[in-house]
Amino acid sequence: MNVQVVSSADYTLVSVEGRIDTTNAGEFEKPMMEVIEGGCTKLILDCSGLNYISSSGLRVFLVVQKKMMALKGQFRLCNLQPGIKEIFDISGFSSIFSVFPNQEAAIKG
Amino acid sequence: MDKESIDKVLRVNNQIEELTRVEGFLEELGEEWGLSMSLVFSLNLVLEEALTNTISYGFDDNFQHIIEICFNKTGVELSISIIDDGHEYDPTLKTDPDITLPAEDRPIGGLGIFLIKKIMDTVIYQRKENRNFLILTKNIES
Repeated sequence: MNVQVVSSADYTLVSVEGRIDTTNAGEFEKPMMEVIEGGCTKLILDCSGLNYISSSGLRVFLVVQKKMMALKGQFRLCNLQPGIKEIFDISGFSSIFSVFPNQEAAIKG
Repeated sequence: MDKESIDKVLRVNNQIEELTRVEGFLEELGEEWGLSMSLVFSLNLVLEEALTNTISYGFDDNFQHIIEICFNKTGVELSISIIDDGHEYDPTLKTDPDITLPAEDRPIGGLGIFLIKKIMDTVIYQRKENRNFLILTKNIES
């Protein structure tokens, strides 16, 4: 798994590549928490390179969402692959996250 | 003529790192049995959820245990049996999470078994000779 963080004036863009599973969910959680603790109020997560997620990964998504909501910030996802989208639909996550088709839409939205 | 039936067995230890081996095994199985990428993704997820539970909570000692995973494909019926010698635990009795709750009310975790039930067609639990048998089936015709 690779996580890249790019901060700009208005938002922070995180791109995740590879798999988020039980063996590495903590490696994904750490940089996400650092971004939130750094005071980010608009967090965009580009999932174009994310090709596998299990409940351990979904757990981190939910933790981030709860934290961002508590801070009155925004957490937006974009570029979900069909397999990931399916898991989001099954688990009811599609209705509790703001999902955008691409980065531009997520930045503007 | 009877439908062709093929079997494969994978044995793993009760260690989370073994999930990486499961992933590799499934990729090979997918190629060998001509399974779609999305099905391999789903099966990987199902196995990870089941094994994570068993490895994390299934054993009352610190010894090494072998978990056996048997795959069978008969025509378009795929079945996976996960057999362990941990304490008795029937995951099918777990209550489904309420997936309509807003984010602030959603509990953290508790999705694993629900995902297994949603992805597979049937999930059967049996306790025999001090072993847990979790038998999962799915029609893979597509």
